[in-house]
Amino acid sequence: MKRPFVADLHVHSVLSPCAEVDMTPRNIVRHAVQHGIDIVAITDHNACDNVPAALLAAKGTNVIILPGMEVETKEEVHMIVLFETMRQLEEWEQFVNGHLSGRLNDEKHFGAQFVVDAQDELIRIKPEMLLTALNSSITEIGRVVNELGGLCIASHVDRPANSLLTLLGFIPPDVELAAVEVSRLMSPKQALQRFPAIGTLPIVTSSDAHRIDDFLSGPKMIFYLEQPTLPEIQQALQGRNSRKMLNQ
Amino acid sequence: MIVQDMVDLLQADVVAGAANVDNVIRGGYVSDLLSNVMSQAQSGNVWITMHGHQNIVAVASLLGLSAVIIAGRIQPDKEVMIKADAESIPLIITTLSAFEVVGLLYSKGIKGV
Repeated sequence: MKRPFVADLHVHSVLSPCAEVDMTPRNIVRHAVQHGIDIVAITDHNACDNVPAALLAAKGTNVIILPGMEVETKEEVHMIVLFETMRQLEEWEQFVNGHLSGRLNDEKHFGAQFVVDAQDELIRIKPEMLLTALNSSITEIGRVVNELGGLCIASHVDRPANSLLTLLGFIPPDVELAAVEVSRLMSPKQALQRFPAIGTLPIVTSSDAHRIDDFLSGPKMIFYLEQPTLPEIQQALQGRNSRKMLNQ
Repeated sequence: MIVQDMVDLLQADVVAGAANVDNVIRGGYVSDLLSNVMSQAQSGNVWITMHGHQNIVAVASLLGLSAVIIAGRIQPDKEVMIKADAESIPLIITTLSAFEVVGLLYSKGIKGV
């Protein structure tokens, strides 16, 4: 039996330097439970240290955490990458760590990068600068993510900053994308009119939340699935196998 | 000025599209937002960028640009050079910054659009 799942595929935790301190994994899960958000992808910039805490915090609830990351490619394009399992994400993390800039974060200018546990306790502060480009092209990143069984969604393509369409003009033919995301500033229909380059790619809407208020008020997706898994979400994006999606 | 004159002036390297270094340069444009280049640059322009991504060749070809300069020691991806050869777009790399490249070209009479 298929049923609707409310999903937010782009949520930042306190690990992202630009996120507010209320974005702890436990608090995100607690609000997801209270507000009927069934699927939450934790997608911090170039890192995923808070995904284990989110998975743990969601244990015993109906909330499904998708292990993810928002990466910045060499071209400064932001992309959401999602995986089914933490093991796959850890493999991806190794690739990312091998392509970091080598610079250290400057908390005063960019904000602090907190790694926390499922009880909101601080484990450590991540020293590497996360808010910058990896030394890997969008094509290479797309290839490696797909090889690991993940999927890529180009972030907020309608925005002026860090958008695939703004930076590269059109979608490169050799980049394997599952979808493009439009920000809360625009509906998918408006985005398609403004950016015909989106073509036939599925358009997802997500909160891109950096604070709890935005997580609750921001756009989401509704997926019609049997089980809330990444392969089924992928089918819903493509409208295959009688899985469907709706922009909320 | 033709592309070869510009290469000599900048002491830069042509890494692809060398068969077309006699293209005439009519004005120039600088931007790293390809969406902006597509809407602003004019046919015959030389385009200065920091992108080494293959989409730059498609944009240059679409607009009929005379050449693309990748500034600031950026090394383009291999596919970029293959595409530039196929599309006959002179692709030039230089250790100079984009600022220096523009300054030198402007001083020799290459103006903006």
